[in-house]
Amino acid sequence: MKRIALTVALGVLASAQAQKVQVPIPIGVALAQTSNTALLGQEQVIGARLAEKFINGRGGINGTPIKLVFQDAAGDENSAINAFQNLITKSAVVGIVGPTLSQQAFAADPIAERAKVPVLGPSNTAKGIPQIGQFIARVSAPVAVVAPNAVKQALKLDPKIKKVAVLYAQNDAFSTSETGTFQETAKAQGLDVVTVQKFQTTDTDFTTQVTSVLNSGADLVIVSGLAADGGNLVKQLRQLGYKGLIIGGNGLNTSNIFPVCQKYCDGVIIAQAYSPAQPSAANQLFVKEYRAQYKKDPPQFAAQAYAGVQVMVDALRAIDRRKKLSQWDLDDLRVELNKQILAGKYNTPLGELRFDKDGEIIQKEFYVAQIKMKDAKNGSFVYLK
Amino acid sequence: MEASQLIQNLLNGLAIGSVYAIFALGYTLVFSILGIINFAHGAVFTLGAYFTYTLVVGQFENNGLLKGINLFPNGSPLSGNPWVFALATLVGAVIAGLIAVLIERLAFRPMRARGADPLLALVSSLGVALVIVNLIQLLVGAEIYNFPSDAYGQVQPALSFQVGEKVVIIRTVQVIIFAVSLVMLAVLGYVIGRTKVGKALRAVAENPGTASLLGISVDRFILITFFLSGFLGGLAGTLVGTAFGVAGPYFGVTYGLKGLAVIVLGGLGSIPGAVVGGLVIGLAEAFVPSQYSAYKDAVAFALLFVILLVRPQGLLGRAQIQKV
Repeated sequence: MKRIALTVALGVLASAQAQKVQVPIPIGVALAQTSNTALLGQEQVIGARLAEKFINGRGGINGTPIKLVFQDAAGDENSAINAFQNLITKSAVVGIVGPTLSQQAFAADPIAERAKVPVLGPSNTAKGIPQIGQFIARVSAPVAVVAPNAVKQALKLDPKIKKVAVLYAQNDAFSTSETGTFQETAKAQGLDVVTVQKFQTTDTDFTTQVTSVLNSGADLVIVSGLAADGGNLVKQLRQLGYKGLIIGGNGLNTSNIFPVCQKYCDGVIIAQAYSPAQPSAANQLFVKEYRAQYKKDPPQFAAQAYAGVQVMVDALRAIDRRKKLSQWDLDDLRVELNKQILAGKYNTPLGELRFDKDGEIIQKEFYVAQIKMKDAKNGSFVYLK
Repeated sequence: MEASQLIQNLLNGLAIGSVYAIFALGYTLVFSILGIINFAHGAVFTLGAYFTYTLVVGQFENNGLLKGINLFPNGSPLSGNPWVFALATLVGAVIAGLIAVLIERLAFRPMRARGADPLLALVSSLGVALVIVNLIQLLVGAEIYNFPSDAYGQVQPALSFQVGEKVVIIRTVQVIIFAVSLVMLAVLGYVIGRTKVGKALRAVAENPGTASLLGISVDRFILITFFLSGFLGGLAGTLVGTAFGVAGPYFGVTYGLKGLAVIVLGGLGSIPGAVVGGLVIGLAEAFVPSQYSAYKDAVAFALLFVILLVRPQGLLGRAQIQKV
């Protein structure tokens, strides 16, 4: 009995003792490696791994290597919550880059907030993400900033546009948030929203929505969805005879839609937070690395995940100069890292980044691109001035 | 509702409903013989699409272990006109059928041999489905693969005709899907109704013990059933893949659930029921007003619920007779 009590007491003492930071420095990455969302997640994983390789190749954090700890956050809220919990408690990470979807961020970020672990959202663009808590920031510019550019560009290309059809994936928080911005922008530009159609990200058959769009007489169509459904919708719009301009939201901002809508992707306008043509040294290095491995230009999702890891490492580097990371207690370092992330200025592939006090990204440059297909499967985003 | 809208919805509903029907037939065949639901059927559907894609294109570019592989550097011989594409579709469906046979061997037969509860077989098939889906992603990534638009020759993408003031439009591929589904249903109807194999299958479904006494090899006919089921699932997968793209490893999941609704609605184990159920659900979805079309899955299942309240045995199912 005494022995049991002693063991329990020792256990309690041990757990109460502060945990030191491990070396190599573990940084959590919770992205969608499986499920429908893996289409975006696998690009992000590539971006994060490239960052790890590049950073460790240059001596890590003042000589201390980093180690990315990957946990599959899949495409649903529960998987994201589990991934976050594992990273925080089992892997003892200093911070987390993830999850992939805004929908998941609303569920999983509060876990990190309660545990006082800094989170950088690499692709969460819905309204209200940085406001989840003090420890939540994002490197993905919000929809409200990016989306209006595309509408203005469409009006430049075709000033005669009057009627707009809006379609969005209603089971996705980000698409729902984005479509609100698109609709407000369209109205602000004096356009008439003639029909609003909903679909699910899992849908493949859009005949019903497309025939409604055709019957509404719209001369501009705006799609907020993810790559699979969005690409398919574009394809079916064109196949069924829609001839006007199409704007795609952030979810369609990936070369993964090329094999989906093939030649029908041609001409789709997309507002972007990243461009491979961005001239900064950080970006050109990233583009070179990416092209060498994948024989194509890096997509926005890879660039943002890379930037997420880089921001975390740059902040850790600043802390390490003041006091070696290995000498920190884990809990204290997490709090300090969060402060440092918000305080710093970063030169990433996305250009120069800073954060406001909420953790909202302050980004200088945005782009509007139009898809140009070379052949059935290969295309590129051509930047419009 | 205007006449043009009515015709449009009818065409949309028949096209998708016919795919539901041949997909659900695969479920029904297995259920009628073994009395269990094969949850791996959705995964076999997905596999069918991927097999055909492999035969027609043979390249998986971006992700997965097969990244960079190119089976046909000079272009696939099974691409470019409707007949070779049809051949590729059939071969893809046959391979899917063989996979279904393998699933029976690995997941169902050991359970049957031990006289396990049917629920265990159901869970085991669910496990197989998850393994298959994740294997697909491991091998070829989560990308969507689309058949090149010239894979089945130069086909006009859509057909349209005037109804009053309005135009009714249907994609050519939907018309083809409907036609192929009808042919398949007719062939299956003939095989089950008029051939020796069909008679034996019906005997096994009626009473495996008696069929065995009559000299019918029950195990062999169970394998034949699984092959037919996988063939139909794989064929449906290719048809959907042709129309909407092979939408990643998970794209059979929704169809798997929908197929379940179809067979319950039509009557468990009833072959005509699967056809009627498929068409009813397809049409119900098509008639959901377009601004609410995101809710079409909910509508399908709500319809199922309502019909089951009125007819618990489904539309064409037979009521269970309890002897007292």
